[in-house]
Amino acid sequence: MKEKGYIPQRTQVKLMMGGVISLGKLLIKNPGDIKILRQMEPLKERYIRPQMAYDLPKYKDGMKYCDSEEKYLRPTLYCNCRAPEVIALANELGAYKKSDREFAEAAFHFVKEKLPLEILPFNEVEVTFRRGTGTCFHLITAFIALCRAAGIKARYKMFAMNMIQAWYDSTIDVDPVVKKWYDSMGYFMLEGEGEVYVDGKWTVAHVGPKAERQAAAGISVTKFGEDSIGVWFFALPGTTMRMESLPYGLAAMVGFAKKLAPGSMERVNVSIQNQIEMGRKIIEEAGGVEAYDKQARKKKGPKQPKMDLNGRKEIIFRE
Amino acid sequence: MIEQGYDVYIKKLDECLNNYIPPRDTWTPVDEALYKPKDLYRIPLKEAEELQFKSIKFAFNHHYTNNKFYQGFCKENNVFPDDIKTSGDLAKIPIIPDGFFKDYPRGKEFATWLGNIYTGDLPEIVIKHSAPTYDQVIDAFNDAGLIVSYSSGTSGRHTFVPRDQRTFFLSEYAIAKSVVSMIYPLWDHNMSGYLLMPNPNKTNIYAGKVCSVYFDAIRDVSVAIDREITTELIKLTMGGRRGLKSKMVRFFSKRTSQKMIDDIIKWLERHEKTKENIVFVGAPFILYFVMEKLKKQGRSFDFGGRGAVGTGGGWKIHENIRLSVADFRKEVKDVLGIPEKHCLDVYGMVEGNGWMVQCPEGHYLHVPYSYYKPIVLDDEFEQVGYGESGRFAFLDSAALSYPGFITTGDKVKLLEHCPVCDRPGPVLEPEVKRVVGTEMRGCAEEMRTMMTGDIGR
Repeated sequence: MKEKGYIPQRTQVKLMMGGVISLGKLLIKNPGDIKILRQMEPLKERYIRPQMAYDLPKYKDGMKYCDSEEKYLRPTLYCNCRAPEVIALANELGAYKKSDREFAEAAFHFVKEKLPLEILPFNEVEVTFRRGTGTCFHLITAFIALCRAAGIKARYKMFAMNMIQAWYDSTIDVDPVVKKWYDSMGYFMLEGEGEVYVDGKWTVAHVGPKAERQAAAGISVTKFGEDSIGVWFFALPGTTMRMESLPYGLAAMVGFAKKLAPGSMERVNVSIQNQIEMGRKIIEEAGGVEAYDKQARKKKGPKQPKMDLNGRKEIIFRE
Repeated sequence: MIEQGYDVYIKKLDECLNNYIPPRDTWTPVDEALYKPKDLYRIPLKEAEELQFKSIKFAFNHHYTNNKFYQGFCKENNVFPDDIKTSGDLAKIPIIPDGFFKDYPRGKEFATWLGNIYTGDLPEIVIKHSAPTYDQVIDAFNDAGLIVSYSSGTSGRHTFVPRDQRTFFLSEYAIAKSVVSMIYPLWDHNMSGYLLMPNPNKTNIYAGKVCSVYFDAIRDVSVAIDREITTELIKLTMGGRRGLKSKMVRFFSKRTSQKMIDDIIKWLERHEKTKENIVFVGAPFILYFVMEKLKKQGRSFDFGGRGAVGTGGGWKIHENIRLSVADFRKEVKDVLGIPEKHCLDVYGMVEGNGWMVQCPEGHYLHVPYSYYKPIVLDDEFEQVGYGESGRFAFLDSAALSYPGFITTGDKVKLLEHCPVCDRPGPVLEPEVKRVVGTEMRGCAEEMRTMMTGDIGR
């Protein structure tokens, strides 16, 4: 269990406890907020899950998959990379036919653009593929499972973060309790990305937002290898963790949140769909994803200077 | 008569700040541009342009030659010192996005990161901890004679900037001269001041630190926040932090913050009875809370023309409530009796050493254009002309210990001249806002977040 990373890391426990205590305090101080968490206002728009954007291929005997028990290649919590749905999809995306990089890019594009974000409790990865939506952790798991099925090492990267205003407006500001919670902490306790080992190095893949959501936020459409950190998220220093598996406890927390706050979750889900719709129009007006992305990258401004951390002889570490 | 009066006035300031001015024979074009002009806001444009070009070109060569990461950045952008031949070429200088100074590692690597930002040779810096905190690294640098300061911890990420003593003196002198020029003829070394910021000796927050010059410019200064303010304390006092330590810190913070308001009122009562000039300098929200308390008590003062207020750091008073600068001035007039022309806002930031100070006539923010070039960028980061709004960026020649060619997240409108007064240089419209999509920031915002809960709001 420990070896696979099922036991949460200390930073993660601290972040999760911080989040729970902060929410608990908020609700004790504002008991009326519990009602808000639980209910959707009767006249408000309700969430309707979008139709699946793909046909899940059927598993056939003899389809190739990776059965290694090596770290980052084996199944982990909620990430059964040997589930028939995963194997079938990985094969359809070109597993064992494409190079590792080409396959990872194909898996990245598939998950990022075909599976929209929906806030809901955790489930096994094959359920995610059957449903076609999920939280960022569902989607990262989907990407990691596809890569592992194709014999490419993949892992999770997690961090606590702040976000750009546009992201805040569409995911935090839409629910009064979520807003109070975020504002009281000053950051969001856990966000994640996938990392895949190709061409001799770990490459980041953030599959969370569809191009439309990124367009609605006015940011570039991130590509395979581009980090969310510095574009729409900002990691809190010292909170970045890398792990083979989702840890125990995370699913229970999300499950509890669903029970406690179905209204809040629904409001966020409605907002996400509205963002996707808004982004679709923006992309259309720009003349397609590529044209939009070109414009957005121009707006991103000058490139950050590269900083190689070279030791300086004048700085002496004396323990 | 007035001109002569001003010369004597500013000479007196230079005497007070003698320690800040390097010996004349060591002056560089940067020193020429800052220390030589008597009034930074009244330099004839042609003369200022020459000073600006020489000082910025000097700074650019200096960073290109002595800073490895900036040299790499210039090479990547295909810009070299020889390309900067005229004032028009300054636009070619590669500008660093402000986020760069927020993207740092922790522990020992943070020390190395600071060392790599720094231009030139560092003094010997000894770090005695195996996993040093940010404060421990900063203390080690500062013990070695540097001034590492920070700002904008609102979102949990401070902006850290390393200054050497010369750059710090340039910055301190610049803010003092800028404000004193604008409040002419009110400043007098014997006046009494109240610093509405942390004690400069007890914090490394830049807005507080740079105010150490206040103690040399004015004989008698009281300090509103006379306790140690560290990154750790900011973390603990920011809302939502849990734990006994955090609770204790907040308990004491609450008591001291309420006492702070009472102390300022007592100070006002004491100075009401004298004929001395008084000046408040610092975060507007503290004075706002003082005035709110006085209003509740149905009290007011009448300091008239012998009072002045210099504010800076942002205008948020409560969460989501931003006080307008004009409303604040009116309240200062109504409650303290200080005329609006003596209530001036200062716009600056930890990454820069240029201080834009409002003129008393129109409250436009005047740019110190002899050593600092303001730039406005559009959505695509292209430079735009006067009269257009956009993202503020600057070329700051006074930054000698780090490359001061930086974009900000602030939205401004730059005008060629002040529409109200006769000072010749460029101005920013009075209220600076944040560019959509960038986080809230401002030193006063940090202080406010720490203290509004304490004051009970």
